[in-house]
Amino acid sequence: MHLALATLILVCLMLPFELAFGQWSIPGKLQTKVNKLNEEQVEFLTSGAVLRFLPQQQLEHELATRDAESLQTLVTDLMALFDEMAYDPGRDMGATPLNIYSKRFNKGKLPTPALLRDQEREPGPFSVHRYQFPQSGVPTFAGAKVAIWPEDLVAGKVDVAIIGVPSNASSGRRDASRGPNAMRATNTMVMPDVQSLIKPDEVLSLADYGNFAVDWLSTELTVGHVTDMVAETAETGAIPMLVGGDTSMIYPGVKGVARARGKTSFGLLQLNAHPDAERFGDHTVSDRQSMFLLLDEGIVNGSDTIQVGLRGPAVTVETLQWLRDREVRYHTMAEIQQRGFQKVLERVLREVDNGPDAFFVSIDVSVMNPTDMPAAGRITPNGLRVEEVARAVRHVCAEKDIAGFEITDMAPMMDLSRLSVLNANSILNACLIGIALRKSGLDANYVHPLALDHGR
Amino acid sequence: MYTPWRSIMAGKYKHGKPAKEFAMKIHSIKVRSAMLLLAITVTMVGIAADETVKKPEQVETPKQVATPGHVTGEKLYPFDSKDPRDEDKPPIELPESVAPKLELLTSEEVEFLKSDEARAFTGSAEDTVEELNKRSPKEVKAWVTVMQMVVEHNNYKEGRDSPNIPLNTSSPDFNAWRLQRPRSMDPKREAGPVSLGRYDGDGGPPTFGGHPLALSKEDLVAGKVNVAILGAPLNMGSGWRDSGQRATAELRLLGWPMGGSDQYVQIKASEVLNIVDYGDVAVDNNSTERSMRHVREIVREIASTGAIPMIVGGDHSLEYPNVAALADVYGKEKVSVIHFDSHYDAWWGGTHLIGHGYPVYRLINEGHVRAADYIQVGLRSSGPDESGFKWMREQGMRYHNMAEVEARGWKAVLDRVVAEASEDGRKLHISFDIDVLDPAFAVATGTPVPGGITMREAIPIVRRLCAESNVVGFDLVELHPALDPTYKTTLNSAHIIKACLTGLAMHKKGITAEHYLSPLSSEHAIDDYYGDQQKYLDATKAEEEAANAAEEESKKAGEDTST
Repeated sequence: MHLALATLILVCLMLPFELAFGQWSIPGKLQTKVNKLNEEQVEFLTSGAVLRFLPQQQLEHELATRDAESLQTLVTDLMALFDEMAYDPGRDMGATPLNIYSKRFNKGKLPTPALLRDQEREPGPFSVHRYQFPQSGVPTFAGAKVAIWPEDLVAGKVDVAIIGVPSNASSGRRDASRGPNAMRATNTMVMPDVQSLIKPDEVLSLADYGNFAVDWLSTELTVGHVTDMVAETAETGAIPMLVGGDTSMIYPGVKGVARARGKTSFGLLQLNAHPDAERFGDHTVSDRQSMFLLLDEGIVNGSDTIQVGLRGPAVTVETLQWLRDREVRYHTMAEIQQRGFQKVLERVLREVDNGPDAFFVSIDVSVMNPTDMPAAGRITPNGLRVEEVARAVRHVCAEKDIAGFEITDMAPMMDLSRLSVLNANSILNACLIGIALRKSGLDANYVHPLALDHGR
Repeated sequence: MYTPWRSIMAGKYKHGKPAKEFAMKIHSIKVRSAMLLLAITVTMVGIAADETVKKPEQVETPKQVATPGHVTGEKLYPFDSKDPRDEDKPPIELPESVAPKLELLTSEEVEFLKSDEARAFTGSAEDTVEELNKRSPKEVKAWVTVMQMVVEHNNYKEGRDSPNIPLNTSSPDFNAWRLQRPRSMDPKREAGPVSLGRYDGDGGPPTFGGHPLALSKEDLVAGKVNVAILGAPLNMGSGWRDSGQRATAELRLLGWPMGGSDQYVQIKASEVLNIVDYGDVAVDNNSTERSMRHVREIVREIASTGAIPMIVGGDHSLEYPNVAALADVYGKEKVSVIHFDSHYDAWWGGTHLIGHGYPVYRLINEGHVRAADYIQVGLRSSGPDESGFKWMREQGMRYHNMAEVEARGWKAVLDRVVAEASEDGRKLHISFDIDVLDPAFAVATGTPVPGGITMREAIPIVRRLCAESNVVGFDLVELHPALDPTYKTTLNSAHIIKACLTGLAMHKKGITAEHYLSPLSSEHAIDDYYGDQQKYLDATKAEEEAANAAEEESKKAGEDTST
């Protein structure tokens, strides 16, 4: 930590003073332009604050071309604008009021108590099908049996509980709430692994654990319940495999598992185009703030956190520096383009191997290239191919104790073909295969002798 | 009160270049070691200093609990957010025969069992008795306990539940979403609408109907603007949530009909009215509540100039700030609303105080609009139940459901609606939820319901209302273009807006007669097929003469001023 700080300061000292401290100095030839401004106005201009509104080249252009009066107006307006940015209790709503007289204030977030359930049955996952070899019927994740209560998971010794979290807020194009049902309905989730010829559904006890309740009008009112439910699921010993939902749900996903297994007791591998490390958001939780919250609250260690595939609008100097200060192992698309995916994957896998025994795997589908994932809520060009993501996921799920898995932000309405759903299912399946390999005592590199060669 | 820019700067907006570029230039070991020493010193100082720097708090609950007044930005009303429809029903009586079943219950538990709250689980008195008879006294005790637990869980509880959703008030970007760009940042120009195109207004970026762009009140006043079309990209409430943003963009891309002439009445709205694209209003797409106040401010800004605000795009929560803003300008209970929708949108009693199902209730409850001044057209969704309709009747709301259309036919209902809306020259706001249209015409909407009205029914009613009554506001909401791979829904939406623009132009020209249509375009009059040929010929001639007289007069007026 000290070393990192020292490095940072060293770096700062190497920079010209005014840059290191966020200042911009008025170029000599424009010095006369600011003569008519008062001291505070000049200070504002040179503080760097103004660069939030005007990039440097534009600012210098304005200085060069404006007369004194017009410059005076501009600076006065910009200072007023800056002052309006922050919260003012006399002017701004600091919180969203709720209807405290509502008779259903918390309704919908209470699993029906046992005494009020319609029917009694023995605990354990149950089939929703009439036939031994069903072709269709009620769609479930991976065609798995349904579990409703924690005792079902325990009784069925369920290895993996697949759960929908149909939230629909945050910053992406919105239809992520339909992600879970689209992935249930396109039943391509369980496929045998062509390399090991393992069938994950035969090796593992799987269950469709339904959906967790969300408040569509507020992420803030959603996270508490989802955290509780994820923790309860993880405590049964099943691996919670969450299907979002928008990416704000990674926060309660990881937090819930941490409640069951202990903070910082597992690493976090995230494949995402977006760093989601916004430090200054005006809401208290959102997709853009999710990684910030997990790191800031000490739920995962920065040094045990790996992000792969970063690119797009949120990858800024400040954000990368912030991640670096927290020792996050980030791998941008720049690194992948420079070194090639194979090399970066090897580096990531080494980092995973050197990390904690357990890992939580998080996929924001935006990590994939739009050709493979047109339905990504926060779609960003120049991403990874689906098979690259699948390889990374398969490997980590095979080599590590998986604390949890979450795939988020697939908005099926954005893709009239079924491609996005198909690929989202294949990523989830890659992790199921990995977990199945590990349970069978095989490693990620195992190849079935019949799979590679016809032998003639 | 606010955070001054200096203290914000202390936390953020550091500006710098990538460090590596500079680091590469430094080779001297002496310089490096000197710097290392310095770095260590500064580290120590930095660590000491760090302890004094207060970390911004992530969640800071405001000391003052936000009241619903905060949603609108005013605290005019002591807002009782309790739903009057939600009054507790009287307790039931239990027969003596079940007394043994109740022997383990405390008197409070017995009271609970008889209460309205318990009936949410048990149903009628008979059902309660039946449930009791199924159970032993011990089971009854456990059953009552768990019901009480559920009720307790569902209700708000002080200390356990937050009465509000705190925002991160320490964010230096708290208001960035709604900050308006100062005029002084752009080159000076005269106030007034701006044409974005090079060729007589054409050839620029797309605007609503190709109309010029206005961005401020000064532009509206200077341009003597009659109608300002405002995009409102709110995604929050509707069932399918992509999206208001797309709606305002698509209505600009495909909204050319909003600028065209109308064949039925032979009027081109833009030749009669000054129409502008007033840009989009900022919304917080993570909080409907937070968006309401700013939308209301901008709509009020438009209406205060006398222009008619036409709000298009996002979810139906917008009806609330739109109409409230009109009430701000024209006075409370001075504006009537006609609500085209397949849903009644007067739901209440949920956790949230505004959403796309609540605007009607909020407007009436807060006294912006009298219930008797609310006219609803096209309702047909599964809700509300009888209690909702009884409430509407008690309030004196005038509803015209598709059931009435089924009974009486569209023409009869149309005439009745237009007559009601035009009573005593009252000011009228039209709120047009495109789900009033049949999904055949508007599939791209959040909550479509089959059995709706056709475009051939929608265009005349909107045109007639905008012509024959005193319309002061209009909104078209719930358009979600992503749900329609064709552009049909957007096209139809644009034509609804055009129908109103045409009607408003007719109103300005004084054409407010019942169901006016151009005598020239509605009949060729070459033969007397319908037996009323002469009527059309006479009317056409009268219009020509009136037009010629008007031309003469303006010529004369021109000569007068020149001499």
